[in-house]
Amino acid sequence: MKVSYNWLLQYVDISCSVAELADKMTMAGIEVEAIETAQNVPSGVIVGEILERNPHPNADKLSVCKVFDGKETLQVVCGAPNCDAGKKVPLATIGTVFVDPEKGSEFKIKKGKLRGEESMGMLCSAVEIGLGDDHSGLLELDNEFKPGTPLSEVYPGDTVFDVEITPNRPDWLSHWGIARDVSCLLNAASKMPEAKLPSPVTLEDSDSLVTVKDKELCPRYTARIIRNVKIAESPDWLKERLLSIGLRPINNVVDITNFVLHELGHPLHTFDLDLLAGNRIVVRRAKNGEKMLLLDESEIELKDHHLVIADAEKPVALAGIMGGEHSGINEKTTNILLESAAFHAANIRATSRELGISSDSSYRFERGCDWGMVEHAGARAAQLILELAGGELVTGLVDVQGTVPEMDAINCRFERLRKLIGVDICNEKIIDIFEKLGLNVSNIDSEKCIVVPPLYRLDLTREADLAEEAARIYGLDKIPVIPVRSQTVAPISNDAYLAQETLRNRIIGLGLYECLHYSMVSAKSALCDSRFTSNDLVKITNPLSLELACMRPSLLGEMLETVERNVSRKNLNLRLFELGTVFCANPEIFEEERVELCMVLSGRKTPELYSDALKEQYDFYDMKGLVEGLLETCGIINYSFKKVDDKRFAPGQCAALLLNGRTAGHFGLLASVFTEGLRTDYPVFAAQIESSEIFKAQAADNSPFFTPVPQYPATTRDVAFLADKSLEHQRVIEFIKNAKVKNFESVKLFDIFTDEKAVGANRKSMAYTLTFRNPERTLTDKEVNNAFEKLRQRMESELHVELR
Amino acid sequence: MSNPIIEKIDKAVIDVEQRLAAPITEADIEQVRIDIFGRKGMFPALSKEMKDVPPEQRRETGQAFNVAKQKFQDLLDDAHKHLSGGSGEKSSDIDLTLPGRKWKAGRKHPVSIMIDDCVAVFRRMGFIVASGPDMETVYHNFDALNTPAEHPSRDPADTFYFADGRLLRSQTSPVQIRVMESQEPPVRIVAPGRCYRRDTPDATHSMNFHQIEGLYIDKDVSMADLKSILLAFAHEMFGPEVGIRLRPHFFPFTEPSVEYDFSCIICGGKGCSVCKDSGWIEIAGAGMVDPNVLKTVGYDPEIWSGFAFGMGIERLTMLRHRIADIRWLYENDTRFLEQF
Repeated sequence: MKVSYNWLLQYVDISCSVAELADKMTMAGIEVEAIETAQNVPSGVIVGEILERNPHPNADKLSVCKVFDGKETLQVVCGAPNCDAGKKVPLATIGTVFVDPEKGSEFKIKKGKLRGEESMGMLCSAVEIGLGDDHSGLLELDNEFKPGTPLSEVYPGDTVFDVEITPNRPDWLSHWGIARDVSCLLNAASKMPEAKLPSPVTLEDSDSLVTVKDKELCPRYTARIIRNVKIAESPDWLKERLLSIGLRPINNVVDITNFVLHELGHPLHTFDLDLLAGNRIVVRRAKNGEKMLLLDESEIELKDHHLVIADAEKPVALAGIMGGEHSGINEKTTNILLESAAFHAANIRATSRELGISSDSSYRFERGCDWGMVEHAGARAAQLILELAGGELVTGLVDVQGTVPEMDAINCRFERLRKLIGVDICNEKIIDIFEKLGLNVSNIDSEKCIVVPPLYRLDLTREADLAEEAARIYGLDKIPVIPVRSQTVAPISNDAYLAQETLRNRIIGLGLYECLHYSMVSAKSALCDSRFTSNDLVKITNPLSLELACMRPSLLGEMLETVERNVSRKNLNLRLFELGTVFCANPEIFEEERVELCMVLSGRKTPELYSDALKEQYDFYDMKGLVEGLLETCGIINYSFKKVDDKRFAPGQCAALLLNGRTAGHFGLLASVFTEGLRTDYPVFAAQIESSEIFKAQAADNSPFFTPVPQYPATTRDVAFLADKSLEHQRVIEFIKNAKVKNFESVKLFDIFTDEKAVGANRKSMAYTLTFRNPERTLTDKEVNNAFEKLRQRMESELHVELR
Repeated sequence: MSNPIIEKIDKAVIDVEQRLAAPITEADIEQVRIDIFGRKGMFPALSKEMKDVPPEQRRETGQAFNVAKQKFQDLLDDAHKHLSGGSGEKSSDIDLTLPGRKWKAGRKHPVSIMIDDCVAVFRRMGFIVASGPDMETVYHNFDALNTPAEHPSRDPADTFYFADGRLLRSQTSPVQIRVMESQEPPVRIVAPGRCYRRDTPDATHSMNFHQIEGLYIDKDVSMADLKSILLAFAHEMFGPEVGIRLRPHFFPFTEPSVEYDFSCIICGGKGCSVCKDSGWIEIAGAGMVDPNVLKTVGYDPEIWSGFAFGMGIERLTMLRHRIADIRWLYENDTRFLEQF
């Protein structure tokens, strides 16, 4: 909301600077987001009087004027159509500097000749001196101004605050409302705008003027009738007020209602009485299907929960929101009905929202209006209309009232307030603040008082609300800084983030870069994870776009997009992960929400290597090793892998990770359908693991007990053999481990190759190192050889390998 | 029976050790060599004395003589090595400017860094982390937080909804309710997490963002506790020179409500484009937990009071790293990620 400093000055004496005022307002909750200084008239521009106008001898469109500047008469060439003799207009004298507010460029008035005629300055339009947007001709000044008067004295300029008003404070939505609080903040005198009305000239019968059929939605409706008004342009002061807060002046009567809305905060409406069928007002609910044309020329169809202001036949305004097209003030209007009413806040909000129509009026009514202001605002507007548009007040106040709202008395315990705010503020100061804010304080004793807020403070209903008022005015900056009480109230084992945080740190320790993606994805992206069908997706009913309509069931879709984005930018070496929440609508897959881990490897392992031999690219065993490494840093040793078919991965290059017998995830070479279009030659490997399975397995292996390091030396023996290509490493390992070889400790693959010429088709050579150890003594060669030889023979016969 | 030659040798060993232990140059070492092995040195002199040694001592003296020779040679060699600064091995001619094979740790996303840092600060002050679901009930996200039925934030124009009536939480505040529903006071939790609002993405808005919520409930908790904890946070996060100010504001679930600003961490409060010349940067909202909220979860507001606060993680992250456009955070370009 825009607040004019000059306007505020009408109601409150401000003794501090603009910057100080803005700071005080901000610190009291009226947040000043920006301070704009309205364009001031450049110095050097004065009031000039045109004494003579002569045609320019060399240009049809120019005139040569004699202009009096208060001291002497100057010749000025002017192109405006209205530079007539006798008018007073702004004269930019020699040396005046104009600054283009948008470009920042400067333009200086110099003595010069225009088409051969000397010109000693420039006559200005409103737009040229920043006093409006009229550029059709010279700005015609009031004839009272003396030639030579600096124009900046006539138009002193203004400062406009852009303030943010929180929804609980509708009483701040006006200049008077702000002034009321500012007077309390500055301890300064304030005066409410007066409304002095003459007694009605001729009394007309007004008994049937207003009928309110729904007093719940319209608890109060007042009307006044003013006859024989003259619709005209508003005087400068009124236009200036409206322009200062960005409103466009229309005509005197409309401008007055807008002015009063921004002065007192209460929305008003004026009707052309002669356009009201039956010359009367009926406040009623609309009929279903009833239509009306609004001021902005939009047609709306109404329902019976919408409140309308109607005449004897039809709706003429959407109550509290917007007037109708055919009942408002126009140039021919002579008789007006001035409405000032109260409407039900929630109903106005609902109607405004439903029909998509909002206005300065609905903005205030939906936040709650001041019952007490209904009459005053109407009177204030009537007074201004009589002053500025003439006419006679022909009826007194027609006031149809429902129940007067009652403000609850609040029990206020001083000590309670002090404890909540944390400052030592005495009872008297608290009472003083309340009273300055216009609250009624009674039944005061040493411990408590009773506070009744005024009708415009709908936000004050409880002790806590009073604490806020006391704190706000006393000053939040006076709240002391005290030692932080840092004792714990719950064990760290209750911490919901620790496990995830630790896991993330471990993954980073393994060298991966963390990614962050949105939780919303397109259905297409979601379904690239073949575990899900459309029915399994959690769908948003009001997404921002179809691209963001589903909650991600998997991290894979977006991770693929990130791979693609990076690859297209030539970031080919990728080791990425995300640890994030995924969502599912099918409890058979998983319940609602869980945290998953997605890892991706592609490109070169050590990009900075320069020797060709070392330019290794990631392969399946890197991804497998990453998973193994992660599990082992997590302290998990009981894991295994199983070759599976999975559409996400290339055939034959996908493994399932088993933790405690349950599938915890999958990894492998991504299926070609995902990588076909990628502009990289490197294969892309991915892993998807459910993090809760890691946490569970971790809990089982938590804090392992120490195993003594062996004290006696080990003995090793190598076994090499040729085998069928289909013989898996795992089979060999398990065979050896299960062979119950005496003093056997471990086995390790040290060589494997599949050269057709050397070992034959469909054959491979494998070589293992076996380690033997006895924890109590040093083994002899003989006993090791015996055990080893037995094993070799069993391998030959049972594994069907050809020993080498 | 004393042996004058052996005594001389022993003395000479101590003397040479001392001479070579002091800071020396090649010339000093050479002088020692001359004094011991030179033509007019100790050994030629001792050789001459050998003929005077009684026969029964000759063997012993000869051995000592040879051992000493070796000893002096070793001392001289060591001194040379020491002086040449190392093993004395021949220097290798590898090109040290060739690139090292970097041992690369991964990188934490800047949003995660900020969350972890916030959590660490609050854990130090006795808080632990609580969590809640992203898919929330209207009750937890709005009703229990004292949000009026007609509050604009409930509007489908602002909040994402699901067909079953639930929504994507628009704030981390529902975690407050879930925690208070599940435990008795006192409470001290922070809750980092994802939030969602129907904002069209631009440089400063994202429909998906992170907040960290704080809730502190105990006996006799005041706004002074709130201010002090937020100040401690500001100091830990951005340094001891950072100031804090509270401004009155409005939130349905706190009363009194405040917004809090940090003195501008970019310009130090002097005024710059980031703080719009105000010297202050709006960080987030906070306040004393509204009595209605306490009643809703079954806490007696006459006994318990407390405060809550919430901060936008992306905003803090962007301030800390001077990132002007929030969309960088969700683009995952490795050249961005590797900077943190």
